[in-house]
Amino acid sequence: MLPKSASNSRALLIQLARLGDLVQSLPAIEAIQERYPERPLDLLCSAPLAPVLARSHAIRRVIPWDGAQWRAWADQWTQDPAATLRTVQTYLASLDEIGYDRVYNLNQHARGILMTHLFSSHSVQAGQARQADHGMSPWARYLRQVAKERGENRVHLADAWCGMCGVRPRGRAPVLDGQEVELPEDLTAIGERKGLWIALVTGAGDSARCVSPSVWASWIREFLTQVDDGQVVLIGSGHERETGQAILEAVPTLLQGRVWDTTGRTTLTQLMTLLGRCRWVIGADTGPLHLATLVGSRALGFYFTRARVHETGPYGEGHWVYQYATQTQPDSWPIMESIELICDGRRRAAPGWTLWNSHMDRWGTFFDDGSGKKAVDLQRAAVWHSLSPTLYESVAA
Amino acid sequence: MNLFNDNVTRLAARYPDLAASLKSAVGGILTIEPARSGVPSARRSDRWIHSAYDPIREADTWANTHAPACQAGETIVVAGIGLLYHVEALRKKLSPDITVAVLIPNIDEFHDALSARPLEPWGEQIAWLFGMPADIAQTLTKTGQPLRCLAYAPASQADADFHSAFEQALRRGIARQAGGQLTIALVGPIYGGSLPIAGYVKRALETLGHKVQWIDHSLHAPSYEVMGTLKDARNRQLMQSRMAEVLSQWTLATLAESPPDLVLSLAQAPLTLPVLEHLRKKKFLTAMWFVENYRHLTYWQQMAPGYEFWFVFQQGQCLDAFRQAGARHVSYLPMAADPVVHHPVILPDEDRRYYGADVSFVGAGYPNRRRLFPTLLRQPWSFKLWGNEWDGADDLRFVLQLKGARIDTATCMKVFNATTINLNLHSTTGVGMDPQADFVNPRTFELAACEAFQLVDHRSLLPEFFTDQEMVSFRAFDEVPGLVRRWLGDPAARQAMTTAARARVLNAHTYVHRMRDLLAQIGLSQPDRVGAVLRGDRQQEALVTRCADDLPLESLLKECPAGQRIELKDVAAKIRTKGPSATLKREELMVLMLDEYRSETRDLV
Repeated sequence: MLPKSASNSRALLIQLARLGDLVQSLPAIEAIQERYPERPLDLLCSAPLAPVLARSHAIRRVIPWDGAQWRAWADQWTQDPAATLRTVQTYLASLDEIGYDRVYNLNQHARGILMTHLFSSHSVQAGQARQADHGMSPWARYLRQVAKERGENRVHLADAWCGMCGVRPRGRAPVLDGQEVELPEDLTAIGERKGLWIALVTGAGDSARCVSPSVWASWIREFLTQVDDGQVVLIGSGHERETGQAILEAVPTLLQGRVWDTTGRTTLTQLMTLLGRCRWVIGADTGPLHLATLVGSRALGFYFTRARVHETGPYGEGHWVYQYATQTQPDSWPIMESIELICDGRRRAAPGWTLWNSHMDRWGTFFDDGSGKKAVDLQRAAVWHSLSPTLYESVAA
Repeated sequence: MNLFNDNVTRLAARYPDLAASLKSAVGGILTIEPARSGVPSARRSDRWIHSAYDPIREADTWANTHAPACQAGETIVVAGIGLLYHVEALRKKLSPDITVAVLIPNIDEFHDALSARPLEPWGEQIAWLFGMPADIAQTLTKTGQPLRCLAYAPASQADADFHSAFEQALRRGIARQAGGQLTIALVGPIYGGSLPIAGYVKRALETLGHKVQWIDHSLHAPSYEVMGTLKDARNRQLMQSRMAEVLSQWTLATLAESPPDLVLSLAQAPLTLPVLEHLRKKKFLTAMWFVENYRHLTYWQQMAPGYEFWFVFQQGQCLDAFRQAGARHVSYLPMAADPVVHHPVILPDEDRRYYGADVSFVGAGYPNRRRLFPTLLRQPWSFKLWGNEWDGADDLRFVLQLKGARIDTATCMKVFNATTINLNLHSTTGVGMDPQADFVNPRTFELAACEAFQLVDHRSLLPEFFTDQEMVSFRAFDEVPGLVRRWLGDPAARQAMTTAARARVLNAHTYVHRMRDLLAQIGLSQPDRVGAVLRGDRQQEALVTRCADDLPLESLLKECPAGQRIELKDVAAKIRTKGPSATLKREELMVLMLDEYRSETRDLV
């Protein structure tokens, strides 16, 4: 059993969403820990993602939630309900930490709500165990509205989660310590040799948000032709192995020696190590981009279809996002423009794309396209004032 | 003989009658020869029952294939004796809470086995089933335990009749005991002869207390027919096959909304092979009742691997053909009648005159009927012909009713009831009587259920359903005029026969009987799924009993309605009905959480 603090007060943060959302929860986790340093904070997340934030000093313990196992138990109910319920009881008891004094739930779906009650030390009424709008916090309602109507929101999702947890953003981006894990032998040279190392995120969680292999091949060809000491690392899961192969095959043979295809070959922690060895991480999949910011790399995103820079752009200072003007699949790509940006720092938009640069201030992260920051500051302050008046006052003071 | 005596002595303690029979048996069924590996192997009628190289390894492979499906608490009934290597291997692989029972169809074969191999130590944990198939089946069904039947084919084939009789008796026994409530998706055809049967099946399943979700594709028949008017045959076929594919996907989408325990299709149901394979991957249980002559409609050859269970109304070569085409389970299930639709009707005189005749036939104009029926004209009795597809049968046009329109079921019932002698000639594509006259058509049962007198062409399977006192059949069409003359003149004999035939249908040949058999057969193959539901394991009372040592769950289950099947979703729904101010227990939250995972939409389409 883990030691408990003197007050025995404990808190849990629930985040069952995918990689990007989990990483974006870290600002809220750190803000909570800073606000309540005496109260240990645990994190409950999807089991496959459990290693991602295990290194964070703000988290006492990561509890892996095995959804596949719950699905199996649900099937098993038909065979023996009593045994199933006993198994579930045993499992929950094995987590050792039932009865948290405070549970922060970042997922506004039925499972998240049920989990909140399962882990809470307070009794729950039937009405609370249902998914219902009336039980949502103002911040949760705001996020739901933004997801539905998009609108002109400029509050970053990670900062909204701070508000949802009743804490203000810390004003600096989280960075995990540089502890590396062992890589497959043939990948150990990545980042070790001198040069400009760039990681390309080959896939995306949503197929509509994938950049085609031919576009990536063009980007690599241009980059490696212009930058003599450039090196490109292709990253992706096992699903992206074919994409990685297709990209590699489309790159001129003479340049292939400077392209490292790691798709499907790394665990999450190995991926973090690889990202940490690259100066830039470029892609359309927000998950790896967020992960890159955690390990100190700079992120450059190509955001199109449903991805929106203001809510889910890479968190922190000095990251960049090309946002496509419409929600359709782009018909041209900012290849030369993005290469100039990372090589020479030249800021140039591309036809159909707007270029955004990230900054940090008292409300957290925001993105600026060069048209002025003041209006953005006022807009975000108004949201905080409306949804968290007390926090707003404390920040203003 | 020492080995044999040792084995029999040990058996005698538990099975004295079996031991006595063994002592008087002579053996000589199996030819024992050493395998390459050194252990004994055996042949029966010159066919190897076990491997000539390594029988132990072969038995291990067989046991490895079947053991994973066997569940705690089940009784595994093994068909096939041989030298029992497979039984020993299976016994060793299963936990002690699984019973292994072995059928002994031939005592001389068992004698040979005991002379060649020791039963110790595994034999002590085997239940030996000896006697008449029906008696064994009755004993097993009385235990109320879940049963799973396995066959070691090389050894069981030689006693196919015994095993078939046993399986049938077991199926009937289980069917009689069945009491649980299944959810069944019934997939009907777009049109055709199996469409009304889908309706009868639905009613039968509901009569048995099951929930039926009818995926009725006949709603789309007008569109399908319009496509049939396209003159270009390629376009017509293309459009109609595309429509069938869409309906197949539609079926998937419907199933995803509310996954059933069983998907039961009737012949011509628009489910494509890829969709069936997809359903199989998603763990849906599928069955098809192929109510068509397998020799005439042959698309089953491509579809055979798609369904988990096939039911056919023909036997012998039909069953073999389906198995060869890749069907995993194929069973015989004959046609029947639905007494709600098929029953005696007292018609007003006007209807009796309009629909009645001395002799009538209702059906489509198949070539054999066109060729044979003209001999029924110019006779001293009246003859009426009802049905469609008689175009070009000029000599029959004066007896064809309603200008050859398609006859609906209601009209059909009136004709059956108003007619003195109904002619029932099975269709064939040839010009004479059906040369392969095996199955019995639905019309036979329907006429009998209507208490209507019929003359039916003889079928090899007919005696299985009706005796000579219940049904008159003819083997050559030229017998018909004489039979008509004879039976027209003997109303009392006709009445006796039709009364007996109707009673027989009501006792044994309704769709309720057939559906009971069908579900029992599936339950036997799936004792932990459909079988468990049919045994009533999911009924509220059974669940409460099983959870008696678990107070929180017991109290949850007691809040659910008695006499109903209770699943996770029902318990969760019950919890959700509690008022908003009710305090939820921890167990209730767990049930709600489990239900959240259960209710994940299956990614089917």
